[in-house]
Amino acid sequence: MEVSMIGSSTSCSSSSANKIVRSELGFCDLNPRILPTKNKLFFDWKKHRCSKAGIRLMLKTSIRSEAANSETVRPCSGRPRSASGVKLFVGFPLDAVSDGKTINNSRAIAAGIKALKLLGLEGVELPIWWGVVEKEAMGCYEWSGYRALVEMVAKVGLKLHVSLCFHATKQPRIPLPEWVMQIGETQPAIFFKDRSGRQYKDCISLAVDDLPVLNGKSPIRVYQQFCESFNSTFSDFMGSTIMDVSMSLGPNGELRYPSYPAKSSQILSVGEFQCYDENMLAILKQHAEASGNPYWGLSGPHDAPNYDQSPMASNFFREHGGSWETPYGNFFLSWYSSQLISHGDHLLSLASSVFSNTSVTLSGKIPLMHSWYKTRSHPSELVAGIYNTINRDGYEAIAEMFARNSCKMIVPGLDLSDEPQPQESLSSPELLLAQIKQACRKHGVEFCGQNTLVSGDPRGLEQIKKNLVNDNEGLNSFTFQRMGAEFFSPLYFPTFTKLVTTLDQPELGSDDLEGAESFRSMRSLNLGLQK
Amino acid sequence: MSAVALEPLLHKSYRQNPRFRPRSLKTKHFSLSCSSNKRLSNSSSTFCNFKTPIVHSAKATSTDTAFLETQENETSSDTFFKETFHLKRIQKVEGKISVRLRRGDDKEKWQLSVGCNLHGNWILHWGVNYIDDVGSEWDQPPLEMRPAGSVPIKDYAIETPLTKSSLDLEGEMLHEVKIDFNPDSEIAAINFVLKDEETGSWYQHRGRDFKVPFLDYLHHGSNVVGAKRGFGIWPGALGQLSNILIKTEVSSPKGQDGGSEISGSDMQSRRFEGFYEEYAIVKEVPVDNTLSISVNKCPETAKNNVYLETDIPEDVVVHWGVCKGTDKKWYIPPGPYPPETKAFKNKALRTQLQFKEDGLGSWGSFTLDEEFIGFLFVLKLSDNSWLNDKGSDFYVPLPSSGNLPASSPPQVSGEETDQRAYTDEIINEIRNLVSDISLEKSRKAKTKEAQESILQEIEKLAAEAYSIFRSSIPTFTEATVAELETQKPPAKFCSGTGTGFEILCQGFNWESHKSGRWYMELYEKAEELSSLGFTVVWLPPPTESVSPEGYMPKDLYNLNSRYGNIEELKALVKRFHEVGIIVLGDVVLNHRCAHYQNKNGVWNIFGGRLNWDDCAIVADDPHFQGRGNKSSGDNFHAAPNIDHSQDFVRKDIKEWLCWLREEIGYDGWRLDFVRGFWGGYVKDYLDASEPYFAVGEYWDSLGYTYGEMDHNQDAHRQRIIDWINAASGTAGAFDVTTKGILHSGHWRFPSGKEMQGYAYILTHPGTPSVFYDHIFSHYKSEILALISLRNRNKIHCRSTVKIAKAESDVYAAIIDEKVAVKIGPGHFEPPSGSQNWSFAIEGKDYKVWEAS
Repeated sequence: MEVSMIGSSTSCSSSSANKIVRSELGFCDLNPRILPTKNKLFFDWKKHRCSKAGIRLMLKTSIRSEAANSETVRPCSGRPRSASGVKLFVGFPLDAVSDGKTINNSRAIAAGIKALKLLGLEGVELPIWWGVVEKEAMGCYEWSGYRALVEMVAKVGLKLHVSLCFHATKQPRIPLPEWVMQIGETQPAIFFKDRSGRQYKDCISLAVDDLPVLNGKSPIRVYQQFCESFNSTFSDFMGSTIMDVSMSLGPNGELRYPSYPAKSSQILSVGEFQCYDENMLAILKQHAEASGNPYWGLSGPHDAPNYDQSPMASNFFREHGGSWETPYGNFFLSWYSSQLISHGDHLLSLASSVFSNTSVTLSGKIPLMHSWYKTRSHPSELVAGIYNTINRDGYEAIAEMFARNSCKMIVPGLDLSDEPQPQESLSSPELLLAQIKQACRKHGVEFCGQNTLVSGDPRGLEQIKKNLVNDNEGLNSFTFQRMGAEFFSPLYFPTFTKLVTTLDQPELGSDDLEGAESFRSMRSLNLGLQK
Repeated sequence: MSAVALEPLLHKSYRQNPRFRPRSLKTKHFSLSCSSNKRLSNSSSTFCNFKTPIVHSAKATSTDTAFLETQENETSSDTFFKETFHLKRIQKVEGKISVRLRRGDDKEKWQLSVGCNLHGNWILHWGVNYIDDVGSEWDQPPLEMRPAGSVPIKDYAIETPLTKSSLDLEGEMLHEVKIDFNPDSEIAAINFVLKDEETGSWYQHRGRDFKVPFLDYLHHGSNVVGAKRGFGIWPGALGQLSNILIKTEVSSPKGQDGGSEISGSDMQSRRFEGFYEEYAIVKEVPVDNTLSISVNKCPETAKNNVYLETDIPEDVVVHWGVCKGTDKKWYIPPGPYPPETKAFKNKALRTQLQFKEDGLGSWGSFTLDEEFIGFLFVLKLSDNSWLNDKGSDFYVPLPSSGNLPASSPPQVSGEETDQRAYTDEIINEIRNLVSDISLEKSRKAKTKEAQESILQEIEKLAAEAYSIFRSSIPTFTEATVAELETQKPPAKFCSGTGTGFEILCQGFNWESHKSGRWYMELYEKAEELSSLGFTVVWLPPPTESVSPEGYMPKDLYNLNSRYGNIEELKALVKRFHEVGIIVLGDVVLNHRCAHYQNKNGVWNIFGGRLNWDDCAIVADDPHFQGRGNKSSGDNFHAAPNIDHSQDFVRKDIKEWLCWLREEIGYDGWRLDFVRGFWGGYVKDYLDASEPYFAVGEYWDSLGYTYGEMDHNQDAHRQRIIDWINAASGTAGAFDVTTKGILHSGHWRFPSGKEMQGYAYILTHPGTPSVFYDHIFSHYKSEILALISLRNRNKIHCRSTVKIAKAESDVYAAIIDEKVAVKIGPGHFEPPSGSQNWSFAIEGKDYKVWEAS
C-alpha cells in the first residue's frame, strides 16, 4: 500500500518511543497535588524555573525513549491511539452513496481517506441509509455502492464504524424508502404526530414498532432483516474493517422523539410532545387506565407550550408549581420516556442478536438536548423523551439500557461549549455532557463522541480537544462530522490537522517549540506509518 | 610603551607648534604594536588598557620598543585610557574583466574564458540559450560543458568559481574560469554575470547580462559590443536597467581588431571566431585601518587630553563632542579648540585631522575640562562616508576629579561585560545540552523531514478532496439552509477564499487620488454598493506612497495617503461593514521605496517604523544594491524589491498585516504584484493575518506569437495556478488570463464592449470584479441586472460551464444548467430541451437567459 512506503522501518520504534514518552507524562499526571494537569506541567516548570528546564525535559524524554527503542523492537501490536486513549474517526459525507450503486465524489473520498490515514486516524464512519439500500421494494437490497466504499476503506487500511440509518435526512435529502412512504400515504399512523396533527415523516413512530404495518411485517422485523442482510453482505469485513455498528434509534438516529421541527427558527423553543398519532394515544389510554387514572390518558399535556412559545409561557414547565412536578406530570413523563427507552432497548437487543456471531461492537446515539438545561424542569429534554429534571436523573435509565445490551453510547455535541450559547436559553451543553458521562461511568457504558457541525469557529475544535484530553474516562472514540468541502477547506482542515497531531500533547510555550517539534514529529510519523 | 607615555606632552607642543613633528616614526610604531596586539588578542578587535595616572615621567625611549614592554611601562605611564580601533572602510579599486573566446587545445572544442585581475572570491554565474529556444530565459548548460566545481542554481543557471591562474600577459594575478564547449552543440549563446562572493556584488555589463552569442543576429546592431566582428559580447534581455550598481565600461577592446568576416544576411549561421575583450570594473575593497586613542591627564591644568591618531591616508574629519553623564548625550565643550575646528549645527564640532609628516595618516589632539566624563566622536572621510564604532559613536571615557580610573570600572562599550555574561550562559547551556543533543539532532532532522513530506502529502490530498467536493453540486451537509441564506461576513473567518459567492467592486480608479478625499466620497456610496449586490470592496493602497496612486509604498505604517487620512479610512471600513460589505486592503508587499540613500547614493535605506537596512532588499536587482538573498520571483524594477526570505522582513510584514486587520478592520487583501515573490511566503502572510478573502495580482504577459495573441493561453493560466498552489490555496488570484483575452491584449477594456465583458464575468464562475467607474455610469442598470441574476441563480466561483457555441461572431455558454449567455452579434438560442429558458437580460451584443 503506497501509504506505508515512507520509512516504515522506523515506525515500530517510534511508536514504542511514543508510548514511553506518554507514560512518563502520564506519570507526572498522577501527581495531582503538585501538578494538577498535563497542561500545567510544562507551564509551571517554565514559569518557576526557566525555559531551559522545559527543553531539557523534552530531551530527557527523548533520550529515554531512545533507550527504550533498542529494548523493545518488536512488531507493533495494537493500533495507534492518542495518549488520551481516544480513537479518532471522520464521518463520510451523508450522501457518499445516494443511488445504491455508485459512490458520489469517489475521487475526493479516495483522496480524503488517504489523507486521514496519513494523519494517523483510526478510521471513518459510514452512514448507510435504509432509504438508499432498500429503496424500491421491501426486501430488495442494493448494497453495491456501499460495498465499494467499504472496500476502498479496507484497502487504505482504515477501520469503519457503520451507522445503519432507519431515519431520513433533509440535507442532503435522503428520504425513507419509497415503499415505506407509499404505505405512509394510506396509513398515516405509522408516523409521529404532534398536537396540531402535523406528521413527522423522517422516521417511523416507535408506537408501531411491533405492529405489522409494513406489508404485514412489523418495523422491528424489517429492521432486523435489513441488519441480517447487511451482516451477510459484509461478513468478510465484519470485525476486520467494520468494527462497530450503530443502530438508528429515532430522528437523526438519536434516541428521542422528533420534538422540535428540523427547521426551527426559534432556537429558544423547546418543541412539543409527539404523542398524538393514534397508536401513541391508544397506548397512553391503555396505560392510564391500567394505572387507575383513565382521564390522564385522553391526550397529552394540555398546558404544554407550542413550538413558538417560551417554555415558561404556559403552565406545564413552569419553574415552580408547573404541571411537570405534579403526579399527572410524573405519570405522563414516565410513560413518555419509558416508551422511548423500550424502543431503544428493542432495537439494540435486536442488533445484538443479529450481530452476535461477529466481533463488531454495537452502539446507539442519544441526543444532547442542552437548551434550557439550567432550568429545574429541563423542558427540551422532557419533550424529547428524556425524563431528566432537577429531581430525577433521566440518563441513568438510558445508560442502564445501553449497558444491558452491551452497547456504546454515541454522544453528539462535544464541540459545544457553554459560552457561545444564547443567555436566554439557559443552556449548558457542558453540564449536560458531564451528567451523561457520569451516568455512563456508573453503568460501565463506553461512549463515543461526535461534533455537531464542521464550522470555522475555532472554539469548536478547542472544545473537542478539551473533551478528548480532560476527563475522558470511558470515551472510546471520537468521530468528526464530517467529510465534505467544508471539512477539507483551507478554513477547517489545517486546524483539524493541527488538533489531531497535537491532541495528546501538553500545551507548550512557543519557546519550547523545538522540543515540541520533535515530540510531535514522532507522533505523526508513528501515526502516519502504521499499517 | 614609553612612546605612548611621552606623547601627551608632545601633543601639546604639537598644538603650540604644529610644524614641529619629531615623533612621527614613533606613532607609526605605536600602531604597529597595536596590530601585533590584535593578533595576540585574537578575536577582539579593540585593544584597550587603563592606566593609573601616576607621576608623569617624560622620558623618551628608543623608537623600536617591543610590544611586550608595554606591560612594564604601564605603571610608569600617566595614560588613563588607550585604545586601538580597527576601522573598516571601503576603497574603490579598478580592475578589468576579460573575456576571451578561442579554439581550445583540443581542436574540436572552443573555449570561453572569463577572467578578472582583482582580488576576490569570484564566481561566474552563467547559463546558456539553446538554438531552438525563442525566449531569453537562461537554461542550464549541458553537463559536459560545466567546469569542475560548478554548482547548479535553480534550474537555469550554473555557478562556477574562478580559479587563481597563471599570470596574464602583463604579469598580473588573474582569476579565471574556462568553459570548453563543442561548437556543434545546440548552444546559441552563453550568458553570464560575475559575482564576488567576498563582497556579494554582482557585475554586469551595462546593466545587462554579458552575452556571448554564437549565432549572428546582425540586425540587432545598436547595443552589441563588437558587433562589427559578427560576434562578440552583447547585453542579454534580462533587464532594462540603466542605473547599475557596478558598471562595466568597455575600455577600448584590446587586440583582435581585424580578421572578422561579416555575413550579415545569413542570420542563423554559426560562426566561431576568437576574440578578446576587456571591461573596466571598479570593485569596492574593504580596507583595514586603525585608529588609536589615548587619554592623558595633565597634572598641572587638571585637564584631559585626548589624542587621536589614524593611518587612514586621506583627509579625515572628526565630528566630536563631549558628554556629562552616562547617557552619552553630545555637548559642545567650551574652547579653545584644536586648529581647523568648526561648529556643526550647534551639535558637534568638526575638526580636520592633521597629516602626519610621513604622510601615513593623521592625528589630532583635544584638550578638555575635567568636568566631562566622556569624549564622543565619529569620523568622516573624504568620500563623505562615515566611520563609527560598530553602529554607535566612538566613546572615550575621561578621568574626572571624582572619577578616579582605579576605582571606576572601565566603560569602553558596555557591551563587553554583557557579552561575558552571555558567553558564560551560552557555555553552560552548551555544556548541558551538547551531550544530549548530538544523538538526537540527526534523528530529529530525519523525522522532521519525513514528517514534512507526510504533511505535504496530506495537504495535497486534502486540497484534492476539497476541490472535488467543492465543485460538486453544493450540498450543504447538515447545516440548516436558513443559516446559509444569510451570508453576512462572519466575525472571524480564516479562509482567504471566502464563500465563493463574492462579487467584488474595485472601489477606485487610477484618478481617485486626485480629489484628496476619496475615502469620504466612497463613504457616501457604501450603502448603494451594498444594495447593488456587492459583497466585497477593494480599496486603494492605503500607505504613504511615492506615487500618488499608492503603489510605491514608503512608510507602511503611515496610512495617510492621497485618498485620505487614517481616520477617514477607518470610518470608511466601518461604514462598509455596517452595510455588510467586506473590505479588501490593497497591500504592496513586493517592493518598498526607501527613505534614505546609502553611501553610494543608492536609495536603499528604509525609515519609518520598519527601518530596514539593505538586507531587506533582494540581491539580484543591481539597481538597489540589496544585500539580501536572490529574489524568489520576478523583480519590479522601479523600487527596491523586498527580500521575503529574511525572517525579520516576514515578521515585520506579518505584524503589519495583523495591525491592518485590527486597527483598520480590513477583512482581506488584494496583493499587488505577487509575481515578485514566492507563493509560499504569501501563504505565510495569509496564515498569520487570516484574511476572509485574498486575491493576488499575478500579472505577466500572455503568450504572443508573431505579434498576435495566442488563442491557447493555458501556459499563462498555469503560471497563475502554480502561484495559487504555492500559496496552498490560501488566496485566489485575479484571472489575468481571461482579462487579457477579454481585453484582446489592450491595457484598457475595448471601449463600448464593457457590457459584453460583464455579461461574461457576471455569469461565469470565478469571482467577478466590477470597476467602480462602470458601476456609476450608464451601464449601472445592466450591471445591476446581471448581479442580481448571478445571485438569484447562486452562481459561484466554481460553477460549471458548458460552452454551447464558439464561433467568430458569437460565444455562448450554459452555466450550472441555470443560466445561458451569449456574447457577440451572432445568433444563439438556448436549446429547448429539459429546461425552459426564459429571456432575462439583453444589451449590446449579449443576451442572458434563465432556466425556469
